[in-house]
Amino acid sequence: MKKQYLIILFAVITALFTACQSGDVYKTLILTGQGEHNWKYSSSALQQIFDEAELFKAEILNTPAQGEDMSTFKPDFSKYQLVVLDYNGDSWSDETKASFVDYVRNGGGLVVYHPSVKAFPDWPEYNEMIGLGGFNGRDETSGPLVYYGMEGVVVDDTTEGPAGAVEERADFEVRIQVNDHPVTQGLPVRWMQANDVMLTNLRGPAKELQILATNSPRMMYWRRPGAQPPKYFPVLMAINYGNGRVFNTVLGNVDDGSGVAMQSVGFIATLLRGAEWAASGSVTQEVPFDFPTAAGPVIRTGFKAVTLDEAFNRIGSYETGSSSTKYMTFIRRQITDAAGDEKTLLNLEKKMVNVLKDANATADAKKLILRELSWMGTDYSIDAINSLSSNPELQEMVDFALTRLQAN
Amino acid sequence: MTKKTTRRDFLRRSAAISAGAFVFPHIVRPSALGLGGVLPPSDRVVIGSIGVGSQGMSNMRDFLALRNAVQFVAVCDVDTDHLTRAKETVDKANGNKDCRTYDDFREFLEKEQLDAVALALPDHWHGIVYTEVINKKVAVYGEKPISRTIEDGKTIVAAAKKNNTLWQTGSWQRSQPNFHRGAELVINGRAGKITHIEVGLPDGNRGIGTPPIQEVPANLNWDMWLGPAPKVPYRGVVHWDWRWILDYSGGQLTDWTGHHVDIANWGMGMEYMTPVEIAGSGVYPAEGLYDAPVEYDFRCKYENGVTMRVANSSRLELGMGTTWHGDLGWIHTDRNGVLTASDPKILDEVIEENEIHLYKSDNHWQNFVDCVRSGKQPIAPIEPAFTACMVGLLGEIAMTTGQTIKWDPEKQEITDNTRASRLVGRPYRKPWTLPTV
Repeated sequence: MKKQYLIILFAVITALFTACQSGDVYKTLILTGQGEHNWKYSSSALQQIFDEAELFKAEILNTPAQGEDMSTFKPDFSKYQLVVLDYNGDSWSDETKASFVDYVRNGGGLVVYHPSVKAFPDWPEYNEMIGLGGFNGRDETSGPLVYYGMEGVVVDDTTEGPAGAVEERADFEVRIQVNDHPVTQGLPVRWMQANDVMLTNLRGPAKELQILATNSPRMMYWRRPGAQPPKYFPVLMAINYGNGRVFNTVLGNVDDGSGVAMQSVGFIATLLRGAEWAASGSVTQEVPFDFPTAAGPVIRTGFKAVTLDEAFNRIGSYETGSSSTKYMTFIRRQITDAAGDEKTLLNLEKKMVNVLKDANATADAKKLILRELSWMGTDYSIDAINSLSSNPELQEMVDFALTRLQAN
Repeated sequence: MTKKTTRRDFLRRSAAISAGAFVFPHIVRPSALGLGGVLPPSDRVVIGSIGVGSQGMSNMRDFLALRNAVQFVAVCDVDTDHLTRAKETVDKANGNKDCRTYDDFREFLEKEQLDAVALALPDHWHGIVYTEVINKKVAVYGEKPISRTIEDGKTIVAAAKKNNTLWQTGSWQRSQPNFHRGAELVINGRAGKITHIEVGLPDGNRGIGTPPIQEVPANLNWDMWLGPAPKVPYRGVVHWDWRWILDYSGGQLTDWTGHHVDIANWGMGMEYMTPVEIAGSGVYPAEGLYDAPVEYDFRCKYENGVTMRVANSSRLELGMGTTWHGDLGWIHTDRNGVLTASDPKILDEVIEENEIHLYKSDNHWQNFVDCVRSGKQPIAPIEPAFTACMVGLLGEIAMTTGQTIKWDPEKQEITDNTRASRLVGRPYRKPWTLPTV
């Protein structure tokens, strides 16, 4: 009898432990150590991005340096729920390759980050896992060129030629092609990636491959007669390999030294969503307020997302033209998201009124706040707004706010 | 209801009403010069334009392309470069140097004695200028969307009703054969009973960050351009690009509801029916001066059970345009002559004589001129245009508040929602006020 209790107790503890592990934080391995790119920077950036999300616990493992003995490199993949490859270098030992294939085939999650589409051109299982790859001697024998054509249809192009081409570094538009996949659900359909290097003309076996998003070479509305039909090359891919899920992102090139492409919210948010899907099969993350749109790219300095406290700390020094508008956008989004929740709305209103009362806050900041309070404010705001009416710089927006608030 | 009115009636009526208050410096009607046209000069519609930027000039060219149907005599704009260009165009067409120019619409309205006025101004000016022009009892060709806010639009429509204004909205798609045919097939039940409509409008514009403050160019009266909108320094964003800033416009959304939602309503016989429930979400740029939504997706419910989804085209399977979904299939129509259906046979259907025949016009500007002469109602009257505009404006409020908005079509107001109700209007900057009807 006692023994049975112990077994049940043990089972409960194990269940709780597992729940904590899989429900809260995914144990993540960032695998790097070789490549033409600045992998020291990129792997550390990836680690910061994953840790910041509080959904992953990431550790970095470096392979032996290029040309060194790879036989000692034998990571235990089974300890992880997610492996992130940031690697373009020497081939691994057969034993390590086999263990990696087993890991993914048995349901392990894999994220293939930008430079890794170049790795292992001669490893068939790897090419199957990543769906499409390029460079390092890949050509038509690696598989067809795969892209979206003009009419939104995936084209398997078997023309002969090398696999992999590099576009000039630029801001470019990404277009979601499949919007009912967990990774892309709810994202803006068109959005800008900052200062990145687009890899095109990738080839591969493309088995069990879904192209979630492509680049977007031109506006699709006005189809000019005689124009060459554009090719929409894959940017985000989802691949099923055995029981495992693979997310392949060609975004986030690091080679300009500034890391802006990796600080681009489009890269960060899709990487985190792709990673969660690869690790679990679903995505619980909300679309962040600063996810870019076709209007332009958005950067997260230091890879960090804005918090409410930070937004209200920063808004006080807002100067139109020289300050980022994203903190106000964030506050607006909080208001919209709190619809119907009077407690949260009052809390936001109080924070806004504090900005109005703050003698050090700029006039531009107060104008933004007055505009928002004009429709969402309650009696709580009226005194603070009235007290600004003697400030000639604010007079107009004070009138604006009071007219609205007092009409209803 | 439709009393036959001639141009002379118009003149008599407006003269009788305004004679006491206004001076008429132009007693000899310019049209009396009769420039050897096909029509007798007395039949030419004497017209002036307020707002002669890109859209105003586009309308002017469309009017001038109708040989000798109209005679432009005066133009008004807050940008003297626009005025110079417009005057050149008018003078060339008239073969003289007589086109009068104004930089203030109030002076234009005080001095000019016209049959008709063509209006193409930024949306934030519509409430004031449209109402003042209507109050002058002239025929109006006015650009969509009718207004920046619901409150502005209600005033404009009330003024037009009171003055029995002959009004043509610039929703020219009604005068295109594919839209007409699509709407006529739908209203005659060729797609069956319609339960759902999808309307695809353009995605929002690319951003430009926040450009630095610049010196206002000498040709532009910036304060007058801003008018009732909040005073802000000039940053080089003015003509055309005002569309992406919420102080002046609701973005692509409220602009294009004037086209594709208008067509949707036309085919449903719902031109006077506003939705009762609106809910959805928008995507707003995180950075920069442009703050209009760049993506949007909301649903409207109507009293008759019909639902309408309005979204930026990238989100919809059929992209831009209007798609009516009925129990017999769907019919889709868009620009560039697009008219498609779930079954191509639907498109071959003949509309019999005893069925509904929608108003037919082959040229939107000619239709207006013909109506000014005949007193007949033009193809795109003001109320249906406001009905279409309202869908965008209510959608905007639903997206801003994050709430499901309930609209009372009888009372013309939002029900039980203080915050949303505040968004039906925008307070005007002093000294501007919304004119009384």
